[in-house]
Amino acid sequence: MLWLGVGLFVLYPLAMLLLRAFLAEGQLSQGPLFAMLGERIHRQSLLNSLILATLVGGIGTALGFVFALAATRCELSAPARGALDALAFLPLISPPFTTSIAIIFSFGPRGLITHDLLGLTGTSAYGLPTTLLSEVLTYFPLAYLTLKPVLAGIDPNLEDMAASLRAGGWRIFRTVTLPLCIPGFANAFLLLFAASLADFATPLILAGSNFPVLPTQAYLQITGLFDFKGGAVLSFVLLVPAMVVYLLQRWWVARGHYVTVTGKVGPRALSRPLPTAARIPLLAVCSALAVVIAYFYALLFYASVVKAFGADHSFTLAHYRVIFTEGLKAIRDTLIIAGIGMPLGGLFGVVVGYLVTRKRFPGRHALEMTVMLNYALPGTIVGIGYLIAFNDPPIVLTGTAAIIVACYVFRYAPTGVRATIAQLQQIDPSLEEASTGMGAGSFETFRRVTLPLVLPAFFAGLGVMFVRSLTAISATIFLISIGWTLITVRILENMTELALGPAAAFSVLVVAMVFAVTGLIALLLRRLRAPGTMALAGSMGG
Amino acid sequence: MTTQPAPAGIRVEAVSKQFAHRVKGQVYAVDRVDLDVAPGELLTLLGPSGCGKTTTLRMIAGFEQPDSGRILIGERDVTRALASQRDIGMVFQSYALFPHLSVFENVAYGLRVQRRPETAIVDAVREVLALVGLGGYERQMPHQLSGGEQQRVALARAIVFRPRVLLFDEPLSNLDAKLRVQMRGEIQRLQKRLGITAIYVTHDQEEAMAISDRIAVMNKGKLVQLGTADALYRRPEDEFVAQFIGRVNLVPVRVLAASGEEVEIELWGRRLRIAGASGAIVPGPARLVLRPEMARLGPDGPFAAKIVERTYLGEKSEYRIEIGDLVLQVAGYDGDGPGHAPGSTVRLALPERGLHFLP
Repeated sequence: MLWLGVGLFVLYPLAMLLLRAFLAEGQLSQGPLFAMLGERIHRQSLLNSLILATLVGGIGTALGFVFALAATRCELSAPARGALDALAFLPLISPPFTTSIAIIFSFGPRGLITHDLLGLTGTSAYGLPTTLLSEVLTYFPLAYLTLKPVLAGIDPNLEDMAASLRAGGWRIFRTVTLPLCIPGFANAFLLLFAASLADFATPLILAGSNFPVLPTQAYLQITGLFDFKGGAVLSFVLLVPAMVVYLLQRWWVARGHYVTVTGKVGPRALSRPLPTAARIPLLAVCSALAVVIAYFYALLFYASVVKAFGADHSFTLAHYRVIFTEGLKAIRDTLIIAGIGMPLGGLFGVVVGYLVTRKRFPGRHALEMTVMLNYALPGTIVGIGYLIAFNDPPIVLTGTAAIIVACYVFRYAPTGVRATIAQLQQIDPSLEEASTGMGAGSFETFRRVTLPLVLPAFFAGLGVMFVRSLTAISATIFLISIGWTLITVRILENMTELALGPAAAFSVLVVAMVFAVTGLIALLLRRLRAPGTMALAGSMGG
Repeated sequence: MTTQPAPAGIRVEAVSKQFAHRVKGQVYAVDRVDLDVAPGELLTLLGPSGCGKTTTLRMIAGFEQPDSGRILIGERDVTRALASQRDIGMVFQSYALFPHLSVFENVAYGLRVQRRPETAIVDAVREVLALVGLGGYERQMPHQLSGGEQQRVALARAIVFRPRVLLFDEPLSNLDAKLRVQMRGEIQRLQKRLGITAIYVTHDQEEAMAISDRIAVMNKGKLVQLGTADALYRRPEDEFVAQFIGRVNLVPVRVLAASGEEVEIELWGRRLRIAGASGAIVPGPARLVLRPEMARLGPDGPFAAKIVERTYLGEKSEYRIEIGDLVLQVAGYDGDGPGHAPGSTVRLALPERGLHFLP
């Protein structure tokens, strides 16, 4: 049953995609691959994608580390640390074009900064620098969320030990703290690299024609030229580095390089704070970044309530009227799809997570790997795979809501799977044995003991499903139809029509809805959280 | 509280269990182990880590399946029965308290599974919590309790539904030394008072000797010797038991002649007659099991020895002494005296009856 679903919605589309990419006149051949790579623009976009991903990975990891240091080593007050977390959380739950819109407003030909402030004319907001800026701002929180527990998990005794051997603050940082973070750096870099490689929305808006990247090229190949084979081939070109990164990361995690948190109770020594001289630049960078992010979001909101940003700054609610009339269908469709996908994805996550950790059956690891596949692959590949697989018999799903729901469930439920696995790995199997020892059958044990303990993972899974259903675009842009459309796609359409007001209004609406729902789930989680179980906020972002 | 059912004996008959080992291939975790636990008895499985004691316990509990052999609780063959159908109470090393349930609900768990009426549950939980000294803790959550209190909740949870058998898997290993001594006394008193047959797993020989009616010593998956603490200490059947229970010197001797329980031995060039000897008493080479407190150091005795080292422990001193080319551990109860200084020469005397020999 599970395998059927996973086979149909994970393996089958991928197989169809590869088949399409390598089948020329009924024969397997590398011909199409070489033909596509023969074109300069495609070679250029592969190179551009790799350059962009490397830069985003490097800069994002550095910024994430600065944030993590500020959060763990600067003796900040609890509200200040909360603000850091919120700030880092914001880009993760925003719709894909938020920073892009704000960047166009700021750096475009009539941009707030370039035109009004600096008096420049004829500037362009498109190209590598703005794409890089936008992606770094969007993805650095991933590095922050990866590095913070690593920094916090370093045993303070190690640093105290170094201090007792008369090492100075900077020396301790260089010889103890930094080396212990290296696995974290590698992991964060790979995460950001993969995210940037897969990012479709940002370069679509900001990269422009001078800086083509693979996902957008694949998209244009299909929607512009109706060349499915070309799209499939470009997807394969994207698939190779994505798989390499995915496997590297799995290998890295499997080697157990993490600083593990032992279950030791009792008073814990405090981490050594950094010297003031180091704190000031750190906090300055954080504040600057915070100002930029806050400025972008304020700009977005402002643009949604003025007539025409850059030309007529008088107050209006017209844009909201537009999205609740013309745009109502997209909002309704999105919420219906999210509503169906949430329980399905949440349940899928808990059931698969439970099966792979607690039950022994053949193909257990294969099942886990396969389930994670759609999550790890760039959305463009998944979308094109679904498009190719479900457009023709035997299974035709194009144009239905089912194809979008299936795409979301199999692409984002793996977060719930991971959360469940993490949760279960912390639950001593002897808890379940204690229950069966007292006469409870395996179903009663699952209901009374296991289920209450994995409930936080279930709700975290629901939260991720909801957030992604409202903000994802890279895969589903290939799957929308006249019958079913999505808010994110409407934002894109608005942007291409240069109707930036409604686009901003849509974005504000999505941020508000996501905030409301994640807030509700966080509240539930806090009430549910059994003592000793780990906070799951981190898994919300992935 | 409900009335206690008649205690049930436990029989383990030739039980074996193999595990796949990464380096060694298939290895026996438990190798043809036989046990016969009398109704109401507390039997300890004692041995170093990896000796198979926990696996044996988990097979009795029903968490592992034996490859061969039979397990009986009372007269019932439970070898293939599920853990939930064995009527056991178990205390885990990690306590395994349900973190999402209060103390009351943790203890009530087994009663709720049995669908007892609510009033009976409340009464039974109250009574058992009072019994373990936790009256008034009903609403606390497990993480609010100290280690010792968590241990008591685990104990209360295991006995509240009056199982026929109690199983303990190293229940005290997470407590500090003082609390360990106190809790083992409480466990023993409770077990005797309730009269529930119990099997107790530990690697701590002192704990085993303090708590058990009988001890089964295990090593490398095999049952090595089963007996009272006294029998294991005085008459170990092999070198492993002699070394594992208490401290020991194994002194090479030669048995010259034996008639009944009286032997003549040659030791350090002298001939000694020993009455009431046990163990390997056939003419030929043998090893004398000499516990540190059996030898006496003093002004007289048949053997001359040199003090190598003295460790003062308050009630006694521990000496390392050199005699011939052997170094022995000997306990000295010096009373008010100054004891023996390292480098000095003393005389050593041995008891003349009740010595034990290994081949």
